[in-house]
Parts: sequence; C-alpha cells; structure tokens
Amino acid sequence: MFKLLISPRLISFKNGLKRSRSNRMIKILTLTGAGCLFWLVLFYLTYKVLMYFSSQEMIGDILARHLLGMVFLIFFSILIFSHVITALSNLYLSEDLEICHSSPATLTEVFLSRSLYTVFDSSWMVVVFGLPLMMAYGLVYHANLDYYLSLTYVSFPLIIISACLGIMVIMVLVRFFPAQKASDIIMLMSVILIVILYLLFRFLRPERLVNPDAFVHIAQYLGALKAPDSPYLPSHWATDILWARLTRYPASQVFNAILLWSTALAMVVIDIWMAGRIYFSGFSKAQEAKKRSHIGKRMLERIVSAVTKPFGPESASLIAKDVRTFFRDNSQWSQLLLLAALVVVYIYNFSVLPLERSPIKSIYLQNALSFLNIGLAGFVISAISARFIFPAVSSEGQAFWIVLSSPLSARRFLWSKYFAYLLPMLILSEVLIIYTNYLLKVTSFMMALSSVTIFFLVFGIVALGIGLGAVYPNFHHENISQVATGSGALIYMISSSVFISLVIMLEAGPVYTILSAHFKGVSITRIQWIWVVCSFIGVIFVNIFAVKSPMRAGLKALDRYEG
Amino acid sequence: MIRFENLTKIYRGTKAVDNLNLNVPRGTIFGFIGPNGAGKTTTIKMMAGVLKPTRGKIYINGLDIAREPSKVKRIVGFIPDRPFLYEKLSGIEFLRFKAGLYRMKENRLDERIADLLSLFELTDWADELIESYSHGMKQRLIIASAMIHKPRVIIVDEPMVGLDPKGAKLVKEIFKEWANDGATVFMSTHTLALAQEVCQQIAIVDKGRIVASGTSEDLKKQAGVEGNLESIFLKITGGQYPGENV
Repeated sequence: MFKLLISPRLISFKNGLKRSRSNRMIKILTLTGAGCLFWLVLFYLTYKVLMYFSSQEMIGDILARHLLGMVFLIFFSILIFSHVITALSNLYLSEDLEICHSSPATLTEVFLSRSLYTVFDSSWMVVVFGLPLMMAYGLVYHANLDYYLSLTYVSFPLIIISACLGIMVIMVLVRFFPAQKASDIIMLMSVILIVILYLLFRFLRPERLVNPDAFVHIAQYLGALKAPDSPYLPSHWATDILWARLTRYPASQVFNAILLWSTALAMVVIDIWMAGRIYFSGFSKAQEAKKRSHIGKRMLERIVSAVTKPFGPESASLIAKDVRTFFRDNSQWSQLLLLAALVVVYIYNFSVLPLERSPIKSIYLQNALSFLNIGLAGFVISAISARFIFPAVSSEGQAFWIVLSSPLSARRFLWSKYFAYLLPMLILSEVLIIYTNYLLKVTSFMMALSSVTIFFLVFGIVALGIGLGAVYPNFHHENISQVATGSGALIYMISSSVFISLVIMLEAGPVYTILSAHFKGVSITRIQWIWVVCSFIGVIFVNIFAVKSPMRAGLKALDRYEG
Repeated sequence: MIRFENLTKIYRGTKAVDNLNLNVPRGTIFGFIGPNGAGKTTTIKMMAGVLKPTRGKIYINGLDIAREPSKVKRIVGFIPDRPFLYEKLSGIEFLRFKAGLYRMKENRLDERIADLLSLFELTDWADELIESYSHGMKQRLIIASAMIHKPRVIIVDEPMVGLDPKGAKLVKEIFKEWANDGATVFMSTHTLALAQEVCQQIAIVDKGRIVASGTSEDLKKQAGVEGNLESIFLKITGGQYPGENV
C-alpha cells in the first residue's frame, strides 16, 4: 500500500519526462544548464577559499574545520525549516490527501508516504548544492574513497533527523494552534527563520574579514569566526566524522556514527508514534473552513481606496482585487518578511563597512562602491520582483477565465498590473539607494546619478517581470510561490541581470572619466564628452527596450493564450 | 442573436469543433447537448472569448467576437462549469470586482448587489471569503456575478452542477424570466430533463458536429422515435441505455 501511495508522484514525474514537448525540454535544459553553472561556480569558489586557507600556516586547518562546521550547521537549519514548510503542505494541505485518507491505507502508511514526499521536496536542493562544497573539500585535502563513502552515511541520517524534527514541529503546531490558522503557522515560521538568519549572520560577522587588525590577534579572529556550535548537535557529529576522514585522523569515529544513526532511527520511531496520536486530528481540523478575521478590515479598505484612486473602473477593480488577495494570503506575507530581511541585511552590510581603515583612498572607494551599489540594489529589486511581480499574471490562477471573458482588454490587464507594482518598487528602490549612499557618504554627483539610474532601471525591471510573467504563465499552480521558483522566473532573473549589467557597463566608463577628471582637476576632452553623451543615450535606449519589448511579448502571449 | 459561421477548433490535429453553423434567435433558451468530448465546452469557451477559433466566425448581436471582443463581452454573461474564483475575496467584493470590469456606475450598484445576493440566498455569506463557500454556493455566486451587468446573452456550461434542488429550480425560473424579457440563453448541459423542460430549441452535437437541431418535435422527426429527449438523444448519438450491456 505504501508503494502504491507514492506511485502517483513517480508516475507523474515519468509521464512529465516522457510527454515533454520541445519547448518544455528547452526549459528543462536551460534550467539544468544554469544549475550546472551555479554548481561549478560554487565548487570553484569553495576550492579557492580552501586553497587559500591551506596556504595559511597554523590557522589554515582550523579555519577549514570551522567552515565545514558552519556549512553543516547552516544546511541542518535550512533542512529543518524547509521540512516544516513542505510538511505542512504535504501532510495537511495537499488536495489529494482526501483520496489518501479515504482509501483503506492505514494512517501510518499515509503518514510515511507523505513524509517521504516531504523529505524529497525539502532536501534535494540542499544535497545537490551541498555536493560541490564537499567535493572541493575532498579535492583540497586529497581525500580517499573513505571520505566520499562517509558523505553518504553521514548526510542520510542528517536529512532523516532534520525531516523528523521538521515534521514533529508542524504536527505539534497544527495540533495546538487552531487548525484554521494552518497558513498563519507558515508566517510564524518565516519570522522564526528571519530571526535564525539574523542570528547566524551576526555570528558569522563577515565585516571582521575585511578588518586587517583581526589578523594580529589570531585568537580573537577565530573567536569572531566561531559558529554557534555544540557537541549535542547532529551537524557537529557529522562534521567530526568528515573532518576525521579528510585529515585521516586516526581516532575512530564509530561513536559519532552510532550517535547519528541511532538518533535518526529513534526520531523516525518517535515521529510514527506521534503521528498515531496527533496527525489525523490535526488533518481533520485543517479541513474546517477558515472564519474570516475582521481585524484590519478598515485599514485594508483604506489602502485599497488609496491605491486604486488614480485608475479607471476596470483597472481599479483589478488592482483592488490584487491588493486584497495579497494582504489576505499569509504565504505572500511570509515571503515579504523574508525579503524585508534581505533588504535589512543589505543595508546592514553598508553600515558596517570599515571604509576609514581601507588602504585605498576613501573617496574613490566610496564612489566606486556607490556605483556598485546601483547594480546590487538593482539585483535586490529584481529578486523581490521575481517573487512578487513575475507571478502577477499567474496569480489570476484558474480564475483567469473571469478576466478572459470580461470586456477588459489584454493590454489594459497587463498595463494595470504594471502600474500597480511600479510605484511601490520605485519608492523601495529610491529608499534603498539613497539610504545606502548616505551611509557611504558619497558625493552629490554620485547620489544624483544613482537615484536617477535606479529610477529608470525600475521601469525596466517591472516591465520584464510583468511581460515575462505573461510569456511564461502558470495558472495551474497550487501555491503562488511555485511560480517564482519555476524556469520562467529563472529566465526573468537572467534577463533582468543582463539588463542591469548592460546599463551599468554603459555608465561605468563615462562615470569613471568624469570622477577622475574631477579628482585630478583636469578637464574632459571633446571626444570624452561625445563618449559620455553616447553612453547615456545608450542607457536611455536600453531602458526603453527593456520596457517595450517584454510588455509587447507578454501581450502577444496573452492574446495567444487559450484558457 | 447568436450566429456561428463554419466554426472550427482544432487541438493538436484533433477537430474538437468541426464546421459548426448555427443561428439562435433573440429571446430563446437554446440547449446544446451531446456526449462527453463532443465539443460543447470548447464551443462555449469560444463564445465567451476564452478560446480562439481555428477557423470560422461567431457573431453575437451582429458583432464579430474576434473583431470587437470587448463590445461583445459587455453584453454577455458567462457561467462556466467549474467554479474557479478568487478565493481570497469575499462574495460582495467579488461582485464589486465584476461590476468594475463591466464599468458599471456606482449609483444603485449596492442595491443591485444586495438584490442578487438576496436572490441567490448569499446575503448571510456576503462578507465571508469565497474559500469558505461550498461548491453550490460558489456556483450560485458565479451565476449572480454573470447577471450583475444585466447581459443580453447568457452563455452557460452545465448550469446545475453543484446546485441543490432549490437552487436548480431558482436557476430554471431565472432563465425563463430572462428569455421572456428578450435575453438569449445558450446552455450546454448533460441534464436532458432540464433541456427538455426549459429549452425552446436544441442542438445535438457529436464529435464536434451538429447532428440534429430544432424544437423537441423537430428532433423527434429527425430521429424517427417517439418518447422523451433521452431516447432521441441516445438514438441520434448511437448510445445505449445504461445497463443494456451489463
């Protein structure tokens, strides 16, 4: 029965591969290509870092050991969190659960089959992208086969432990929280993740790495690098085993291996025992209709009326619907919190840069960083857009027939979405760039240039998001966050990155010329002026192209769309 | 009021709708019946502007839907067979949203919405999110939303799916009332008793083609059988009574 319960997923996967149409195959190949590239970059970077460490006498190995410990701790934390999220959906919210629970399968069989889905969904990415790091360690330390075998028997129980912990957390939460608030739990979890991320970030203290004084006091430096580690954490046992294999440390690691495996097996038994007691009651409660909360209703109405004021009745209706849906969908909120954390961490980086201690003349560095900041802020805005703007068209979901059968034209539909997102993104990007430039204490010329550049970049970034979102729509998603992780979103991120890079490349040369001339006190030649003007005209053209072309492609795709 | 000219839809080499020609006069309740996979929903979706024909034309109130989609859609109310809605909106917000899409004026809109909610017995649920509605309630809300702009043509796919007997009776009465007021109802259904009861004209479609059309009397003559619509339907489509082969 267990095998039967997991068969739909296997068969669907097989059918998906077998019946792939050519454009889908292209998407799969693009995605695999991009994944491989990322994989290689990760491998190369880790290899370089480890080679650098190994060249440092005395502290090299200690640093490498710490890094391995940190990597395992971070992977372990990510795995637990991702199991919590996917377990909620696989064990409580998936639509096909009704079929499973109404079948003659036992509760344990249903629970185990769903847990297996959860393990696969949560861990494949961590395993795939953890591999280059481990391979780099193996290569640098000339590890033998023993190390690679250890990787298998170390990571497997680690995944099982994190899965059991994640599933346990969600079972307890759904049991004790009102079941109607199942999705609110995701939000709570996201807040917890932000706190964990923040704490990890504080513990890692990356700013110390650029502090040249730190190398004077090795003990202090190591203290700063030390990850929050404990001998009671499974990630610690895993690190010990692998480190012993890498350095061919003679002491036996059997005890750590027994600890890992016995913990994993004990956790499986505890999970099955817990499922027998609380899983079904939680599932049953999760089916009950959610009663609407009236808190904040007036506030939402105010936001809706303020946002929709400048638009005509059709666009206003569409935007009002989007705003309401957004604020009532807790999964959207949780993502927003995560992205807020991204922005906070981004700004935090600038506030701790030890510019005054840099050997490079500060004024150059500040302006160079400010220029780099345009690109980085652009990428942050793109990442936010990938999550919220790219799925804007797909967010209509299976209710898209309502728009298709209404008198609203595809053009108006698409541009309404565009303008609804443009203003908040403009405000966010300007706040981001002006505040970080203020922290960098840049010249007024760079402040003006950055503000104007990011202002125009946002027009293109939003257009790419809306347009490509219409070219690669997914109206049959179970959850809108799936859209942001699809191949279309990857194409969007690549296009957006190319667009931002192009604008920066066009601006970089002229800006360097102007700044150099300014600091050296020389005047700019006529040819240089022509070059400056041509480059900025080029920037305008690239921006116009980035707005018009994706929107046109999106419009064409919508016109062709058949619901 | 509704006219098809050589309407054809081909999906990956398969003709779902094959050269349909049809004329539905104003004020008629028109039944479009056929076995599963006959092309009914495809035809309905093309009429609603959700699908594009491969060939041929659809005229509604003399307007070509391919040329003037917005003008046509403004006078059409579409009720699909599956109630996919915006789950995070409340019933009343959804009706306001639909009214906005049809550029309805604010004055008397609240009154119109209140009347529709009351007619479909959704007043008590008006402020609840659609995600908490039952299947039947969602279906009633879709029918209410299709009526909000007082359309002159109603296109409806399986109107009775998910409705309780009271809801089904209400919908039948409403269709009859609309037709009496001059509106045209184009209805695809599997419920032959419903088609027999409310439709003045019926077309039987099979494998994408109209195989018989006219009033119930015309169909009887074409099929050469006496009896109800079910026996005519089975004769024309080559079907059998359930259980004949068991």
